[in-house]
Amino acid sequence: MSGLILAEVPFPPTVRDIFPPNIGDVGPWLSKFTLLILLAVTIVLVYFLVSYRNPQVVPTKKQWLAESIYGFVREGVAKDVIGHQGLRFAPYLASLFTFILVANVFAIVPGIQISPMSHIAFPAVLALCTYGLYLYQGFKKHGFLGYLKHATYLPAPWYMQPLLLPIEALQAFILQPATLALRLFANMFAGHMLLLVFTLGGFALLNAESIFIKPISVLSWGMTILLTFFELLVAALQAYVFTLLTANYLAGTLAEEH
Amino acid sequence: MAGNQTPKQSGSSGSNEGWAAVGYLISGIAVWGFIGWLVDQWLGSDGIATAIGCVLGAAGGIYLVVKRLGA
Repeated sequence: MSGLILAEVPFPPTVRDIFPPNIGDVGPWLSKFTLLILLAVTIVLVYFLVSYRNPQVVPTKKQWLAESIYGFVREGVAKDVIGHQGLRFAPYLASLFTFILVANVFAIVPGIQISPMSHIAFPAVLALCTYGLYLYQGFKKHGFLGYLKHATYLPAPWYMQPLLLPIEALQAFILQPATLALRLFANMFAGHMLLLVFTLGGFALLNAESIFIKPISVLSWGMTILLTFFELLVAALQAYVFTLLTANYLAGTLAEEH
Repeated sequence: MAGNQTPKQSGSSGSNEGWAAVGYLISGIAVWGFIGWLVDQWLGSDGIATAIGCVLGAAGGIYLVVKRLGA
């Protein structure tokens, strides 16, 4: 019995286990993760298309949910953080939010149980989109040199400038996008690891020699269940944080001279 | 840049400023520590420039936090 259980789970898991093999022979273009990304895009697209297909004045339940998600991002993030001119970014922010939310929730959907966002490549691409967007907006608004100055210059005595400029430049052009990607990636990856640790820990305890240690596996699996709910919270929160920070960086870029 | 958002900010601005402050302190030490390390490599000195760089960077980071995020 216990030997059977042990044989079914790869224990201890190795680094290779986070990289499932590619599907077919098109190289890395088709794997579990790319399929999940496509699935997330499809869910978001189809849901919004279906619920807006024939909009009613008195919204149906589906339409109400879609409207309140979009309204939440539009009013709560775009308008509140960026201000009135932020409304033109509301579609981008809303797509970002819904896509990341769906992809994150995959972490706890039975049968999938891994979020594509727990691979650094996917958050990195999203962060690059945001990075490109706010650099473009900055260059458009302030001009090339004007934006560099806007992003790094700070009214301070001249002798402080050489000390401060490298710090500000690093912060604005490297750390901001990098931490944006890392935050999402690390949260989803850590969540996945936590669930894995408690699930496999349960098996390890069950297979223990002593009869007194075996029952503790129930505790371990109980923690798995609790942490699954916690993961739902983290998934929603991280989708929101990513959107909020994107809006924040855009606001910083679009701000008038200080 | 992280500090000069629009004045109307709701809810999460507190934690946001906290992250910005941490970011400034760490990036200050990182940038000038790295420059100090380069100087160390160049002069063949034994880590003294890295130390000076880290202290300078910390000072710069604190200055930035006060300037950007302080009242």
